[in-house]
Amino acid sequence: MTSERNEEIEKMDAVLRAIGGAVPDPGLEGRILHRLAAARTSAEAGTAPLVPGRRVPRFVGPLAGFASAGLMCGVIVVGSVRHSHEHRAGEPAAPPVLQIQRGGVGAASAVRPADPGTAAPLPASPAARGGATHRTAQRGRARIARQTKKAPGVTVPVPARAGSPQQ
Amino acid sequence: MSAFEGQLAGWMTPARVAKSVDKSQTIAQLVAEYSTTLYRVAFSVTRNAAEAEDAVQETFLRVLKHESRLDEVRDYRVWLVRIVWNIVLDRKRRAKTRPENEDIADHARALPSKDRAADATVISNEEQARILSLIEKLPRREREALLLSAVQELTTGEIAAMLGTTESSIRSRIFRARREMAVLLEKEGIQR
Repeated sequence: MTSERNEEIEKMDAVLRAIGGAVPDPGLEGRILHRLAAARTSAEAGTAPLVPGRRVPRFVGPLAGFASAGLMCGVIVVGSVRHSHEHRAGEPAAPPVLQIQRGGVGAASAVRPADPGTAAPLPASPAARGGATHRTAQRGRARIARQTKKAPGVTVPVPARAGSPQQ
Repeated sequence: MSAFEGQLAGWMTPARVAKSVDKSQTIAQLVAEYSTTLYRVAFSVTRNAAEAEDAVQETFLRVLKHESRLDEVRDYRVWLVRIVWNIVLDRKRRAKTRPENEDIADHARALPSKDRAADATVISNEEQARILSLIEKLPRREREALLLSAVQELTTGEIAAMLGTTESSIRSRIFRARREMAVLLEKEGIQR
């Protein structure tokens, strides 16, 4: 039992010796030095001097990035504010008007808002309304007076009398 | 402060050494002197030749990055071993897998001829793999102490300095590791 155990311990020591005495592939030093030289070259190329003889500090790159990002944000904010101020001064605030095409089918035929000057709803003049129209409300129902003047060319349907034949 | 700078700070003299040295020359000397030792330390964890070599190169790249502070380092060997040790442990943690392609057999062939002859007659590749899998079962501290003690160039004092503990602690860890390994090997022998 003890001899077996010693044998196993000896095997373990042999494995540990194999690990601890591992020999790298030939030329390890050369490969390391080559990689170091490449890293040194790329580092020097990355910090190429803008002014001959002067190396740019490492923090300049990130600093320039932050500065340009901040400048862009400022330009966007100022531009947005100026744009909104110009609109308020020139034109009255009006909701966008949808122009519905008569020959279209449903909402798909709605076109984008046209020029507000032509498409915005205008208040009807008294002439266009055909004079005085009296609308009175009685018990919640609106009634139109008989003597209401009609605009020229407007036909008014005659209400059908009770008992008359339908055409 | 980065981890590397932390490592650097631990191994610096309080005051700068007065003499100025050529940094690239110093790094080349460090490569010539310690690359094999670093490779062995890395290999004890990775057990893969390519990964071990990559870890050594990474170590010297970090040295290059902080070359301006090289003359503040007290003990280059312990400092470099500590860097490569942290690199390989970090990579192993990231991989979270045990090495799949262990090159023990390859490196057993690469051993000096007298060692190879002695070891090759005793252990086969299967036995090597079995013993290594048992080493992996050891507690982390004991396993690390055992693996580092296997690296020929490192003394117990250097291992202690590297792991930030005392020599007696390292000795007791190695003792516990060997005792535990004996038990595990015995169990394995019974089960086989």
